[in-house]
Amino acid sequence: MKIKVFKELCSGCRICEMVCSLSHTGTINPERSAIRIRKDDLGNGLREPIVCRGCRKMACLEGECTEESQEAKKFTWDGKRAEKCTFGALPVFQGEAYHCDLCGGDPRCVKVCTPGALRTRHSKKRAVA
Amino acid sequence: MLNRKMAFINLSTASYEIAPVPEELRRSFLGGRGINMHLLSRFYSSHLDPFSPGNPLLFGAGMLTGSLSFGSRVNISARSPESDHLGDSSMGGDFGAEMVYAGFSHLLFQGRSDAPVYVFLNDNRIEFRDATHLWGLDTLQTQKQIRSELGDSRVQVACIGQAGEKRVRFASVRTGRKSAAGRTGMGAVMGSKNLKAVAVRGTQDLQVADPQGLLEYYGDAQKKLAESKWAKALGRQGTPLLFKFANAMGFLSYCNHQYTSVGEKGLALEAEALEAYSTGMLSCFGCPVHCRHRFSIEEGPYAGLSGEGPEYASIGSLGPKIGNLDLETVIHSTELCNLYGLDTISTGSYIAWAMELFQRGIIDRKITGIPLEWGDSKIVPEIVRRIAHRQGIGDVLAEGYRAADAFGGSSLDYLPSVKKFPLEMTDERLPKSFALGMATSTRGACHMRSRPSIDVLGLPEEVLRKIYGGPVSNQLSSYEGKARMVWWHELHNAVTDSLGFCRFLTVFSSPHAPQYEDFSKWIRLTAGLSLTPEELRIAGERIYTLERVMLAGDGLSREDDTLPRRYFDEPVAEGPAMGSVIDAKEFQNMLDEYYRLHAWSRQGIPTEKTLVKLGIG
Repeated sequence: MKIKVFKELCSGCRICEMVCSLSHTGTINPERSAIRIRKDDLGNGLREPIVCRGCRKMACLEGECTEESQEAKKFTWDGKRAEKCTFGALPVFQGEAYHCDLCGGDPRCVKVCTPGALRTRHSKKRAVA
Repeated sequence: MLNRKMAFINLSTASYEIAPVPEELRRSFLGGRGINMHLLSRFYSSHLDPFSPGNPLLFGAGMLTGSLSFGSRVNISARSPESDHLGDSSMGGDFGAEMVYAGFSHLLFQGRSDAPVYVFLNDNRIEFRDATHLWGLDTLQTQKQIRSELGDSRVQVACIGQAGEKRVRFASVRTGRKSAAGRTGMGAVMGSKNLKAVAVRGTQDLQVADPQGLLEYYGDAQKKLAESKWAKALGRQGTPLLFKFANAMGFLSYCNHQYTSVGEKGLALEAEALEAYSTGMLSCFGCPVHCRHRFSIEEGPYAGLSGEGPEYASIGSLGPKIGNLDLETVIHSTELCNLYGLDTISTGSYIAWAMELFQRGIIDRKITGIPLEWGDSKIVPEIVRRIAHRQGIGDVLAEGYRAADAFGGSSLDYLPSVKKFPLEMTDERLPKSFALGMATSTRGACHMRSRPSIDVLGLPEEVLRKIYGGPVSNQLSSYEGKARMVWWHELHNAVTDSLGFCRFLTVFSSPHAPQYEDFSKWIRLTAGLSLTPEELRIAGERIYTLERVMLAGDGLSREDDTLPRRYFDEPVAEGPAMGSVIDAKEFQNMLDEYYRLHAWSRQGIPTEKTLVKLGIG
């Protein structure tokens, strides 16, 4: 499974950021969310959700002796891994990177995305839960 | 959630104090508008010049702003330089939530900086920064420049444009491309303090009382909302959808209330017409509805213009109210108001006033400089520009109702207003509930204080009785029970403004939208405060009555709770609402009932007994 982003549908509400941080950390803090809405609100109005793409080849874990399937289930990662993500999809806050664990298979951000910009797609690329 | 602080900021000395918000204050006044009113009342007096350093300028985030709720609004309040009494305005966008993440829920600015300044709230810290280089910039340039120099694209900025700097009495405070605390001249108060902007950025955790409970509750509430017809309609067309209804029912202000419908010509201004320019729908922070149009004009004289809006209030005010039925001019003028930092409603209203005076020969080109013909789409942007820069006729109009000093004594007869505050884009001679709400609103003529919009739905009377707790007619033109309806909505809206909820996501839009029961649960799950629905309703009464106490101190009472002469004396001349007029005796009966429900005196003054009961004696 992976989260598929339809950025042209995103309204920029950032409810996904709140829900992600609340469900994983017990507090609301968009900085502790694995999904971020990049906005150009003062300019052309761009809204773009950025979240882990669930790459088959996990460049973010390159050079590490870790079990990929186990790491994929974790939300809080070492911040250094973010540098290896070519999509900038591992937000870092206070030294920790936040990685989308797909909420164990039923992503909450998808459920609260009323415009339908976030959808789940079943994929063989990476198995989670 | 409730550990957000309040900051008392002195701009004269560039100093501040930070204090916790006492839980008792939260229980009594909740947050947002409620706590703003509590703080404002401590300084408020009829002798307080709105432009004096002593006028407190308050920013108040709703109690649930920044959390999973239905809106993340912030109220800005002060003594109003436009009306000379209560000033208060609410705005959406991302500013309120970011202020909360920065660690603050309430700010009180006093004093006046010697030089232009902006204040940066950043993770519990407060910094005063020079704004000399920002003075003269419009609201978009200002926000971009501040973000750029702070080096963070997530900084949110509330600022003034040229209009606020020049103390145009109806200057707005702006954030983002379109959001505004538009009404009552809060931007002019900022200008008088040399406060160009407030910038906020925060990364503080927001503690939630019951995370799992809130996630589940919010999920259900959001699902119910998203499936509703009205949320779908708002999400597709935004507030412009209201234009068609107002026009079809005959409660639009056309040529300064001389008419109340533009008939089929209204097609040019309907939401469907605006859709041709729409490039997407956006949300304020934390809102599932996304009712804000992003627009772009590709061809014609305004080719290349893009931005956000316009809302129905701007379409009405810069459209039919000034006789203008050209949508592109409306879009352009609205964008100019946004950039200069002008309230679109008041701007349109004062232009409409001047146009009627011009029509009647009460003023002429000697004072206006340019002919003020109804609907002359070429001159509208020019007048807006002159108001913002206080040039020529613009300098006269920038004074609001005080322009009567230049226009002559009888001119005020043609400024439809309540408590020295101009009527808006609608005409309330048909809907009696709306009319009473205009008359009693604590910030002068304003539809947002009560606006019982669901009155237009013609709901079964048993449904109305259940909501309002007493008999209410479902006929829009009936006076029966409308005092109760207005009173109920005044309390309700005082509560939603204090929680940071958006009007459109509450019973303003539908009887099925969240009400006190829902707010009570929401507050418990989020903030951990136990407040029953009845305690919330009483908090609404406390807030509204405290506002009324401030007005009473200004000498305002029953005789000021009235409507423009035209509403009583001139039945609507033509169109769908033809013949509609306000019956003076019925109106007085509504007032009697309205005061009784608030437990105020027959003169509309809160009684000692009521004040003691509400704990504000």
